[in-house]
Amino acid sequence: MGLHVGIDFGTSNSGVGIYQNDQVHVLPLDTKNIVPEVVKTILYITSDYRHFIGQEAVELYYKQNINRQRRFVKKWVGEIDYHGAEMHYVRDVYVYVDELQPGRLMQFIKTALRSEKYTGTQVFDRFYSLSDIIAIYLHSLKQRAESMLQEEISGVTLGRPVKFSQTPELDQKAQTTLHQAALEAGFKQVDFELEPVAAALYYELSLSNPQNVLIFDFGGGTLDLTIMRLGDSHQRMVYASGGISIAGSDFDRAIIQKRMLPHFGKGLVQNDPEILNLIHTIPDWAALPELSTPRARAELERALLAGQAPVRLKALESLIFNDLAFSFYNMVEATKISLSSGGVAVARMKEKDLDIWELYTRAQFEKDIQEHREQIQQVLMDTVSASGMEPGQIDAVVKTGGSSNIPVFSEMLGRTFGSEKIKSSDVFNSVTAGLAIKAHQNS
Amino acid sequence: MIDQNKIDEWIHEVEERPASAALIIQYIANRLSELASREEELAAQNIELLSGRKVEEYESRITILEYQLDLLKRQLGGETVLPTEMPATKPFLELVNLLVYNPMGQVLRVELNPTDLTSGQTVARIMGESPLGDIRPNLLVTNSQEELLFLFDTGRTMALPVTNLPASSEESLDWQQAFIEEPRIKEELAAIHPIAKMSLYEACLQTSRRGFVKKIRTAFLVSHITEKYIGTGVKLPADKTCGLTFADMEDLFVMVSQEGYIFSMRVDRLPVAIEEVIHLGITDHIVAWFTAGQKPSLIFITQNGKAVHRDTSWLEPASSFKTKGQPLPSKERREAGTRIVGAAPVDEADWGVFLHNDGSLTTQKISELLATGSVPAGDKTNSILSFTSFHVPEVNK
Repeated sequence: MGLHVGIDFGTSNSGVGIYQNDQVHVLPLDTKNIVPEVVKTILYITSDYRHFIGQEAVELYYKQNINRQRRFVKKWVGEIDYHGAEMHYVRDVYVYVDELQPGRLMQFIKTALRSEKYTGTQVFDRFYSLSDIIAIYLHSLKQRAESMLQEEISGVTLGRPVKFSQTPELDQKAQTTLHQAALEAGFKQVDFELEPVAAALYYELSLSNPQNVLIFDFGGGTLDLTIMRLGDSHQRMVYASGGISIAGSDFDRAIIQKRMLPHFGKGLVQNDPEILNLIHTIPDWAALPELSTPRARAELERALLAGQAPVRLKALESLIFNDLAFSFYNMVEATKISLSSGGVAVARMKEKDLDIWELYTRAQFEKDIQEHREQIQQVLMDTVSASGMEPGQIDAVVKTGGSSNIPVFSEMLGRTFGSEKIKSSDVFNSVTAGLAIKAHQNS
Repeated sequence: MIDQNKIDEWIHEVEERPASAALIIQYIANRLSELASREEELAAQNIELLSGRKVEEYESRITILEYQLDLLKRQLGGETVLPTEMPATKPFLELVNLLVYNPMGQVLRVELNPTDLTSGQTVARIMGESPLGDIRPNLLVTNSQEELLFLFDTGRTMALPVTNLPASSEESLDWQQAFIEEPRIKEELAAIHPIAKMSLYEACLQTSRRGFVKKIRTAFLVSHITEKYIGTGVKLPADKTCGLTFADMEDLFVMVSQEGYIFSMRVDRLPVAIEEVIHLGITDHIVAWFTAGQKPSLIFITQNGKAVHRDTSWLEPASSFKTKGQPLPSKERREAGTRIVGAAPVDEADWGVFLHNDGSLTTQKISELLATGSVPAGDKTNSILSFTSFHVPEVNK
């Protein structure tokens, strides 16, 4: 009989918690991270198929990739059959592969769970299904936790958003994939709890009287809302839950689309579909690293020779071919985070041929995410309405998740429910801690 | 990138949160300062362009490229128009050119047929009562398509194709019949170096007898050659330049002294200004210099015909300049008078050529030399004056 732990498998960050001796412990599994209890949901697979997660993955990626050399080789990948009216022929298909690529970095893995089409990816000569990728990550977390606790872990309570997807079939498929991955990772008993409910359980520890509580769980991938009755374990009740697939990564994408793309030629490059396609791929974190192909380089060189926006296209070339995508997304995210504490920030990145300086204000950010704000306001009111309560009947609003710190959403909650009701939970660890309590109850 | 819309947005931020005003001013001021210094750099570059300095630099580069093109043309036989009816192809036999030259600018060239080479054979003999005089000649083996650079100790250079040197009869090499590029007053011919492949390398290393080295980028060397002056490569009055070698930055450069001290160091660490990289004794001087390349072995030849063999990995690259060097022979042997006359990186397919003090030139297969450990000598008074190695070119069909 092994231990049971709670795992918050988040879009940006993850964590492992355990309930022992009437206390919740969130394990400090990433000693290289500034907050060791938080493990970045990042996986790096090297060309010899070794796996690294968290800050270690990030550091190795930087060490092996920035400004590295490339060598593209033509590789046969298969055949295509052509059937015409009176003819049939087979054509070989080749792709260009960078044979010096030292590894592959994967982030926002959880977001892939809500995708209808994503089944997995090719990493060098092996195909990794989505459940393989998640299993590798969960297995690494399990190993680290076992090594720290000096005991085998057999059961896990995994957090899940209220809705992976608005489509019930996709929602079920996502949970099935996550369940399968947990089994592959070596957990014998796997159960699930809604992430906001887990956050509520943690908050409940601090309550002395029963309350109607709205959990506002706003992380990297989704916003989850749950209205619950808490404070009396015998009368715990979920009145309503709701959610929307908007969160931190969508805000980053909005910043890139509205503020960063002009640095790479948007607005200056006209009537050149190949180059425009490269520019419009920048906000797609999964596709950008794949752009470093001889064809893309040839297109860029052609456009540069033609004298099209040379400074911007040089910057685009540098972003693509110096493996700066990860640094770029981090820079955008860091700018967004710094706007939570101040009214102004500078998005700055200076590398070879790439010089971004963008003064960015909170007012601009709020304008850029206006559409998302309206959607969030709507889902918030819908959830309150579904609970059968008026906003005034909500006793407390508990914020959790990194994006819940964005001031415009605190103001939104304050306006709706009264600012005195807004409680900040531990933004990164409350879900993990709640899952640890749930795991203890399930064991 | 800063347009009116953005400025309006910043003003809007200040209206909403007046505290942001100070931050915005600070960020913009920092950026202005950064841009001002960059503008100054660009203005300086612009002045260079306007004053013509950049033009001169580009003209110099064009001259270098034209020289290299000329060199290639000469190697490939110029712009000869091929006859419309091609003659039947015959196997093309690449001859080995053995050059013997002395400080007086005299050069003897012997053409050797590689298929006739046998190990231990005397391939030529320098005739006369005193065939070598008081001066020690040097050896060089090259192919017929080479371009040779004559390097004089004054730093003067002269380039000419191998085939411009008259070939001597094998039996009787006579200095009286030698090609002569007469040195100027107080000048000596220091070395002859093949340069046809220099554009394939990143750097050229000029070496002096007293262990000084200067690294020149190949691109700059071309302009030196065009100007027929490369520099003396020395700092001390008693020193003299003794040779050149081409190398890539990651190669291991090796120098060997007569008393058997060896200096080795990666080329990228070598100085671009003339510097003493190995500190030699007062009576010692450099006799061999080369890059280790991909050859697995090093061979060192002593004046009494001993062939000392070491793996290339035996070299211990120096960590600093002015070191004493890695010793090869023991102290006892050195004190007993053992001296190195030549050294080279080799593999078993290579050949060695030896100049004996009686004027005879002999060849030997390196594989045999590695096996026997010594160069066959006629009698005990016979000693070796000079050694070099070469690779027999394959027959082109």
